[in-house]
Amino acid sequence: MIETILYSLLSNVPPTDNGTFWLPRSASTVAENIDFTFELINWICYFFFAVIVVAMVLFCIKYRRKSPNMTCDGPTHNTALELTWTIAPLLLVVVIFTVGMRGYLDLREAPEGCYEVQVTGQKWSWTFNHPEFGATQVGELTVPVGKPVRLLMTSNDVLHSVWIPDFRVKMDVIPGRYTSLWFEATKVGDYQLNCTEYCGKDHSKMLAKVHVIPVDEFDATMIKLASEYEDMSRAELPAYAINRLYNRCVSCHSLDGSSGTGPSFNGLWDRVKVGQVKFTSGEALSSLLGDATEYGEPENYIRESILNPQKHIVQGYLGSMPSFQGQLKEKQITAMIEMFKHLDELTDANGNITVNKDGTPTE
Amino acid sequence: MSNTDHNHIEVGHAVPIKFLTAICCLLLFLTAVTVWVSRYDFNEINIAEMGIIMALFVATVKATIVGLYFMHLRWDRPFIGFIFIGSILFVVLFISLALTDTMEYQPEIIPGDTPAVTAAMDKLKESR
Amino acid sequence: MITTEAKHDNLSMSDNYLNHTKGIKSWLFTLDHKRIGMMYLICILLAFLLGGIFAMLIRFHLLTPDGALMTQDQYNQAFTVHGAVMVFLVIIPAVPAALGNFVLPIMLGAKDVAFPRLNLFSWWLWILGLVFFLISLGTGGVDTGWTFYTPYSIDKASSMGGVIPALIGAFVLGFSSIFTGMNFIVTIHRLRPVGMTWFRMPLFLWGTYATAIIQVLATPVIGITLLLLIVERSFGIGIFDPALGGDPVLYQHFFWFYSHPAVYIMILPAMGIVSELIAVHSHRHIFGYKFIAYSSIAIAMFGFLVWGHHMFTSGQSQLVNIIFSLITFSVSIPSAIKVFNWLATLYKGSISLNTPMLYGLSFIFIFGIGGLTGLYCATLNTDVHLHDSYFIVAHFHYVMMGSALIGFIGGIHHWWPKMTGKMYNEAWGRFACVLVFVGFNVTFFTQFMMGSRGMPRRYATYQPEFQTYHVISTIGSTIMALGFVITAIYLLHSVFKGKKAPRNPWGGRSLEWQCSSPPPWDNFAEQPEVGDCYDFSVLVWNEEEQGYDWRKDAVHPGE
Repeated sequence: MIETILYSLLSNVPPTDNGTFWLPRSASTVAENIDFTFELINWICYFFFAVIVVAMVLFCIKYRRKSPNMTCDGPTHNTALELTWTIAPLLLVVVIFTVGMRGYLDLREAPEGCYEVQVTGQKWSWTFNHPEFGATQVGELTVPVGKPVRLLMTSNDVLHSVWIPDFRVKMDVIPGRYTSLWFEATKVGDYQLNCTEYCGKDHSKMLAKVHVIPVDEFDATMIKLASEYEDMSRAELPAYAINRLYNRCVSCHSLDGSSGTGPSFNGLWDRVKVGQVKFTSGEALSSLLGDATEYGEPENYIRESILNPQKHIVQGYLGSMPSFQGQLKEKQITAMIEMFKHLDELTDANGNITVNKDGTPTE
Repeated sequence: MSNTDHNHIEVGHAVPIKFLTAICCLLLFLTAVTVWVSRYDFNEINIAEMGIIMALFVATVKATIVGLYFMHLRWDRPFIGFIFIGSILFVVLFISLALTDTMEYQPEIIPGDTPAVTAAMDKLKESR
Repeated sequence: MITTEAKHDNLSMSDNYLNHTKGIKSWLFTLDHKRIGMMYLICILLAFLLGGIFAMLIRFHLLTPDGALMTQDQYNQAFTVHGAVMVFLVIIPAVPAALGNFVLPIMLGAKDVAFPRLNLFSWWLWILGLVFFLISLGTGGVDTGWTFYTPYSIDKASSMGGVIPALIGAFVLGFSSIFTGMNFIVTIHRLRPVGMTWFRMPLFLWGTYATAIIQVLATPVIGITLLLLIVERSFGIGIFDPALGGDPVLYQHFFWFYSHPAVYIMILPAMGIVSELIAVHSHRHIFGYKFIAYSSIAIAMFGFLVWGHHMFTSGQSQLVNIIFSLITFSVSIPSAIKVFNWLATLYKGSISLNTPMLYGLSFIFIFGIGGLTGLYCATLNTDVHLHDSYFIVAHFHYVMMGSALIGFIGGIHHWWPKMTGKMYNEAWGRFACVLVFVGFNVTFFTQFMMGSRGMPRRYATYQPEFQTYHVISTIGSTIMALGFVITAIYLLHSVFKGKKAPRNPWGGRSLEWQCSSPPPWDNFAEQPEVGDCYDFSVLVWNEEEQGYDWRKDAVHPGE
C-alpha cells in the first residue's frame, strides 16, 4: 500500500490548467461570478483571521503571567467599541449577502433558448437524453461549447445530485419531481460530473464525464449517436452493447464472475439457456422455458428481466434492480441479448472489455 | 432548598369538581358540533373547505379551554402562559416557513408520478 | 467576614462526593448531580473512543483512491456510525450533560439540580440510546448517513436493516437531551441562592441556559420526525416517500429544523466554557459580560430561523433560499461579538499558558476559521459550488469537533482538579494540546482545499488528483489521535498517582472554587456568598498549597 501512495504522490503531476489554490479550473460563464464572490469572502476572511490571531498572539506574549499574584485592571467593557464590532461586521455581511444573492439569481435563471437535456439519476448511473436528436447517453454527456445548456433532471429511485465542479453548478435530483440547472461551457474539454447526494452503496462510483465539443461538430456527433445502432447488423450489436449500454449495468453486474448487487453477467447466457436459475419464489427457470410455457425462448426471459426485473428475483439477491421500461429501444434490448450470447468474445478472463465499439480489439 | 421566591408556589390549586365536569360537558358538546358540521356539504355555497375551517376553529376553541382550565393556565403565573403562547408562535414559524417552501416548488412536482401508489391500485384492480 | 482558615475547618477533606457512599449501586442509582455528571463523562468519553475508531478507519481507508481498507458498504456504514455516534452520543450531551451536570449546580450555589430523579433517568436514557445503536449495528447496520435522508432510509431494499433501531436510539437520546435541558432551565430559574442575580451568573451558565432552551424547543421536532420515519418505513405510509406521493424535501425541513439548532446545542455551552477559561486563566474581568451573555441568547434564537441553509441545492425554492441566506448571516454577528470580547479580555490580562488556557486559545483560533468559513457556506452562489463537498465536511468539523469538542476537553482540564481532586501532569497536558491542535488543523484544513477543488463528501473512492490531500489529512488525524491517547493516559494516571489538588488551583472566582476539591456530598457545608465572579483581585497565591486563597484584607463579597 505504501508503494502505491508514494507512487501516486510522485506521479501526481498537476495538469496545465489547474485552477487556483482554492478552486479548480473554471469552464463556464457562471464560474467567473462565483469565483469573484469566493475571492471577495476570502480576502475578508484573511483580514479578520489575521486580526484575531495577531491580537491573540501579541496579547499572550505581552501580558503573560509573570507572578501568580498579578492583578489586572483592564477595562471591563466599552460600549462604543462593542457596538463598533457589532455593526461593522453587520454591514459587511449585508454586502456579502447581496453579492451572493445576485450571483445566485443569475445561476438559477436560465436564459432563453437553452439546449435542453433530460437527465435521469438511477442507482448508480446517469442517463442523458437529447430530445432534439433522440439520442441517449449513459455515463457521459456531450454538450456544445458557448451555448447555454439546461439540464432537466429527475430520479428513478432515491435522491442524487449533479455537481460539475469546473462549471460551479450543483442541483439535487429528486424522484417524482423535476429540478433543473443550466450552464454555458466556455472551453472545449472533458469535465468531471459527480453525484454528490448520498445514494447508497456505489454512490462514489456514480460519475459521468461531460464532453464539451465545438458547436460545428455538435450536430453531426449527436445525429451519429442517435442512430448508430439503427443500421447495425446483428453481428455488430454485441460490441455496441458492451461499450454503450453495459455502463448502466456495471455497478451491479460484473463481467468477471464475482457477484455484486446483482448476479454476474459472466456465463449468464449459459445458465439461462438451460434454465439453470433458481428464484426466491422457489421456482426454477427451467420450468418456464420450452414449449407452451410462460417464456418459451430464453431470450424472452432476459427481455422480461430488463423491462420488469421485480417479476423474478434470483436466489441470493435482493431484487434492487430498477425497470428499464421506456429507456431502451427494442433494438437496444436485442443488442443486450446478443451481448450476453457473445460475452466470451468481448471480454477476457478477468472481465476486462476487449473490443471497441466498432468491433476492433482494444489496446 | 434556597428558592428566591417562595410565595408563588401554587401547586394544589383546588378547582371544584362540578366546574371541571361542566368544562368536560362543554368539550363533549363541541365534539358533537364538529361531527354535526362534517355532515354538511359546503360545495353548495362554493366554499368547499368550509368544513375543515369550522372543524379547526372548534378544535382551537377546545384546545384553549383544555389549556386554560384542565391545565390550570387560567390560575397560573402569567409567565407560564407567556411560555405557552411563545411555543405556539414557534410552531407557527416552523410550519409557515416549511409550507411556504413546499408551496413554492409545487409546480415542479410531476403529477401522477407515484409508482408505489400506481402499483397498489393495479393490484387492487386485479384482485377485483 | 469569613476568613479562609475558618472555611478550611468547616470543610473536611475526608468526606467528599466520591467516597460518601460506596458500591456500584450507589453510583448507578445515585441522585447526586456530581456523580451523574461523572458517569456521563466516562460514558461519553468511551463513546468518543468508539466514534474516533470509526473516524480513523475512514481516514485510513481514504489513503488510496480505490479505498484501502473497506468495501463500499462497509465504508458507508463507517461514516454513518461515526457521524451518528459523534453527534447523538458524544457532542450533543458532552458539555451540558457531563460538565454541565457536574458544574452547573455548584457554580449556581445550589445543592443539586431541580429534579435529581429526572437527571438520573436522562442518564439511563442515554445508556438505552447507546444500546439501541449497538442493536442497530448487530441487526444489519446502518448506511443512511446520520441524516437519514428519505427516500433512501425508507427503502428497505437498498438501505441496511439496522435503520429502525438506530432511529429509535436517536429518538431516545432526544428525550435524554430534553430532560437535561428542562432540568437546567428550572434549576437556573428556581434554585439561584440569594445574591445570585441573572447578571452575576458566570457566563458558562448563560451558555448552558441558552442551550437548554434549544434542547427543550427543538428536540421534540426531531422526535416527531424520527417517529414519522419509523412509521413510514414499517407500514409504508406516504409522508416522505415520493413513490407514495410524499415529499423528501419536507423531511429535510423537519430534520434540519432540529439539527441546525443542534449545532448550537453543541457550540453554545463550549463557548460558555471558553468564556470561563479565558477569564480565569488570564485573571482578568471578562470584557463585555452583557454582550457575551445576550449573544448566547441571540444565537439560540437566530439558530431556529436558519435551518434552510442546509438545503440551498436540495430543491428548496429560490424565494426561501434567499430568506434563509439572509437570516443565516445574522448568526455571524453574535459569534463575532464573542470572539472580539474574548480577545479584549486577554488585553492587559495576566495570561497563564497552562493546558486549559491553551485549549481556550485553540478554540479561538479554530472557531475563527470555522466561523469565517461559514460565510462561504451562507452565501448563496458560493454554497451552490461548495455544498455536499469536503469544504462542508471541513467547515462543520472545525465548528463541531475543533470548537465544541476542544472546548469540552478544555473544560475537562479546567475542572479536572475539582472533579477528581487530583492534578494532572501539566507538561504532558500542554504537549498533548499542541499535538491535538496541530493534528486537527492538518487534518481538516486540507479538506477545505480538496472540497472547494471538487471532492464530494461521503465518497468511498475518489479521483486520483485528490490523493495528496487525503494522505496529508490522514497524517494529521494520526497526530491528533496520538494527542488524544496521551491525554487519556496522563488523565488516568493522575487519578491514581496525581498530586492532590488544592481548593482553587487556577484562581477561579466562581462558586465551585469555594468548595473543596473534590466537592463534599452536599456541595456547600454552608451557603456560599455570591460576588462578582470575574473579580480576581480578591485572590492571593498560596505557595504552600499551590493554589489561591482569599486575600486577607479583601472585603468579602455579599457584605
